[in-house]
Parts: sequence; structure tokens; C-alpha cells
Amino acid sequence: MEELGKIKQFVLEFSGFKLVFNVETIIMTWVVFLVLILFAILARKKMGIIPNPFQIIAELLAKTFYNLCDDALGSRFAPKYFPMIFTLFLFIWLSNMIGVVPIFSEPTKDLNTTLSLGVLGFIIAHYSGIRAKGIKTYLKEYCEPIFFMAPLNVIGELAKVVSISFRLYGNIMGGGIIIIVVSHLIYQLILPPALLFFFGLFVGTVQAFVFTMLTLVYISLQVK
Amino acid sequence: MDEGFITLCRYLGAALSVGFGAIGAALGEGYAAGQASDAISYRPQASGEVLKNMLVGQAIAESAAIFALVVSILLIFGSTEFHTQIFGWAALSGGLCMGLAAIGSGIGAGVPAGTACKGIVRQPASSGKILTTMLLGSAVCQTPAIFGLVTAFLLIFLDHSNVPLYPGWAAMVGCGISTGLAAIGPGIGNGLTAGEAVSGVARNPDQSGMTSRTMLVALGVAQSTAIYGFLISLMLLFMTPKESTSFAQAMRLLSAGICMGFGAFGPGLGVGMTGAYAVKEVPRNPDGSQVLVRTMLVGMAVAESTGIYSLIIALLLIVL
Repeated sequence: MEELGKIKQFVLEFSGFKLVFNVETIIMTWVVFLVLILFAILARKKMGIIPNPFQIIAELLAKTFYNLCDDALGSRFAPKYFPMIFTLFLFIWLSNMIGVVPIFSEPTKDLNTTLSLGVLGFIIAHYSGIRAKGIKTYLKEYCEPIFFMAPLNVIGELAKVVSISFRLYGNIMGGGIIIIVVSHLIYQLILPPALLFFFGLFVGTVQAFVFTMLTLVYISLQVK
Repeated sequence: MDEGFITLCRYLGAALSVGFGAIGAALGEGYAAGQASDAISYRPQASGEVLKNMLVGQAIAESAAIFALVVSILLIFGSTEFHTQIFGWAALSGGLCMGLAAIGSGIGAGVPAGTACKGIVRQPASSGKILTTMLLGSAVCQTPAIFGLVTAFLLIFLDHSNVPLYPGWAAMVGCGISTGLAAIGPGIGNGLTAGEAVSGVARNPDQSGMTSRTMLVALGVAQSTAIYGFLISLMLLFMTPKESTSFAQAMRLLSAGICMGFGAFGPGLGVGMTGAYAVKEVPRNPDGSQVLVRTMLVGMAVAESTGIYSLIIALLLIVL
């Protein structure tokens, strides 16, 4: 129960400055990176008409997500944003899944990961908005009903970052806390694995999809 | 003195938790059963399928009330050793939080269960798709209740011994009220959206993929205000306040929770209604789905703005 709400940290101190590393998050993020890179290498190995199993999975997933991008962004922007959206989904999904494996923990359980992903989506969406519409039209949209609504519109945009990142963080961290408390109470018999299945596999997949889809539609609201 | 006070708070918290928690799930389940009876009268041959679907839907709708029951039992039988008064306030608040948070999700998860019974009668051939959409929708409806459960667990099991009693008690109560009240509106709103998505799938099973995609996006946005409530709770819980016996300092923290809790109710419900109409029309007019989703998101952003005002005021009250 002591681990409730705690993060393993490594503090580096030199001449008054403090650098805090969330060791577990960093290691787990790299594990996720390595697994994804390995998957990509295996999928590309001996690509051909008769595909290897990894190629089939990769093609199936890529096709589904390309269609989603095409629906939301249209054929002009879809090829440009598809790689980012697809990578985002794979990264978040694998990050949520990795907690099912013993001793591994989800990098998305750390607010730093989800908040940086949210900020990443925010910056990409607004940068592409400025690129697509020009700075004048972009700024004009903030004064939409009347000009003095501009500060509230800006806060509304920033609140999107808060809600998108806390949604992922709250669900994954919440699942972790519920599993810790329940395991503590009933000594890891049957219920914790069932909860792990629900929060790890089901909620993890749904939340990864929701995060990706929301980033996609926020981009599509900006570029169109 | 402390021991007695903590036990008192725990009993009160247990009563509040399951007392409030019993409201929502019962309403939702009653609605589902009513819709099932209605559906069976149209097509008595399908009664077995409808009954099965009703029971599955009701079981999911009940999970919020079961969370409340678990919290109550933990409060009654939990240990009170080496605890100070602040733990009593935290336990009371944890019970209140779980009880309030269970209302919305209980009512909400009943709606897709009911519409699924109607949908199966209308489209018996695709009962599998309808059941899948219902399961997905009502499971995602539970998110506000899960935020309530997490906040309740944090309040009950976290070590608060370094939090000063004054004004810490107000931070604890505010923390529970914020997540608890904020979960009601989004929970009901999510239910409305999921319900329309299920009947949309029944109307046009070929578009089930697009409908459930739109539903997930709508549910996600409708939960934003519940997330703001959860955010304020986490801030109240982890930002240890400075010790002060001033009543104003205590009220400041309590008000932050109350402000966010009530402020989240309307936007959650309103955004849920927006989502409900959008997912209703997507299967009717699949070609227009792009425009529909865009309009939905813009409308939701406007409807949510009052929730953002509450968030701003709550943040101001905390950091002041």
C-alpha cells in the first residue's frame, strides 16, 4: 500500500540545480520504443506479395488507421498526418498494455508522459492550422462570436490539453490504484487478474483509441 | 477522542456512500427493465434474447453501486489505528465522493441497456453488433464512477499524517465533493450518447463501426468536466495546505471543490445531449458524418465553456 500515489525518482543535484528523473517511466518508455522498432523491422523484413505474419498485422492496422485519417482529414491531408496518428496510437496502446506483464509498469501512468503527448498534439494541431489557413484567418477564429470572447476561447483550447491528457492518465493510473488496493485486500487470488484484464486490456485499448481519435479530430478542426 | 471521531466519520461515510450510490443504479436498471418489457410486447418470440441482453446491461449498470458498496464495507471494517482526526474527515469525504459519483454512471449505463433491448427487437439479425456496442458504451459510461472510486481509495488509504487538521479537513471534504458531484452530469450525459449509439446501430447495422467511433469521441469529450473535477480533487489532495486556523482559508478549499462539482453538472449533461443527437444522425446519413462530427465538436466546445469557467474559479480559489 505504500506505493499508492508514489513514483520512483532519481534526483541529480549539482550546484543548486536539481534534475529529477522518473526512472521507471523512462525505462518503460524505452522498452515500448524498442518493441515498436523491433515490430517495424520484422514487418519490413522480406516484404512481398506473400507477406510474413508481422507484415499482415502491420498492413491490417495501417489500412484501418489510414481509412480513419481519410475520413477525418480528406485525401489531401491524410497522407501527411497518417504516420503521426498511427505512431501515436501504437505508442499509447503498447504503453497501456505493458502493465499486464509482471514487473513492467505503464509509462502512461505518469502524468508527464500523457501531458507531453497532449501538448504534442496541441502544438501539431495549431501549427498545421496556421500553415493551412494563414495566421490572419487563424487569429480571426478566436474572436468568433465577438472579439472580447478571445481570452475565453484561448482558455478553452488550453483546457482541451488538460482534458485529453488527464483522461488517459486518470484511467490508467486509476486502474493501477484499484488493482493495488484490491490485491492488498484479498491477497492476489482471482479478482486482481480479472481487474487487470478489464483495466489493462479493455480500458487501455479504448483510451488509446479515444486519445488518438481526439488528436485527429482536433487537427481536422484546425486544417479545414 | 480521535478514535471515536474517526469511527463516527467512517460510519457516516459508509452510510453516505451506499445511500447515494443506490439511487443511480436502481433508476438505470428500472429504465432498462421497462424498455425490455416494452420491447417484448412488440415481438414476444425474441423474449429470450431481450431478457439476456437486459440482464447483461443491468449487471453493468449495477457496477457503480457495487463500487459504492465496496467503499462502504471498507469504511466499516477498516482499521483506525494510529490515525488522527484528519483521517476521519478523509474517510467521510471518501464515502461521500463514491456515493455521489455512482449516481450519474448508474443512471447513464441503464440507458444503453434499455435501447439495446428495443434495438434487438427491431433488428434481431444483428443482435451481436448491438450487444457489442452496448457493452462498449456502458463500460465507457463507468469512467466517471471509476474516477470517484479512485478518489475515494486515495482519500481512505493515503497517508495524510503530514496534513494539518486546519484547514486540511476542508481540503479533504472539498476533494470528495469535487469528483463526486462532477461525475453526475457526465455520467448521465454519457448514457444518453451511448443509448442513441446503440439504437443507431440497430437502425443501420452496416455503419456500426463509424457509429461506435463517433460515440467514443463524443463520450470522451462529454467526460471532460468529470476530468476537471478529478483534477481539482488531485490538487486538493496533494497540495498540502499551510496550517492556519482561519475559517476563510478552510472555506477557500471547500469552495473550490463545491464550485467545480456543481459547475461540471450542466456541461456534462449538455455535451452528452449534443453527442446523443450526433450519433443518432450518423447512421442515418453516413455520407454527412464528417460534417456532423465537426459540428458536434464545435457545439460541444461551446457547451463546455461554462464548465471551464468553474475550473478557472476553482483553480483561482486553490492557488490564491
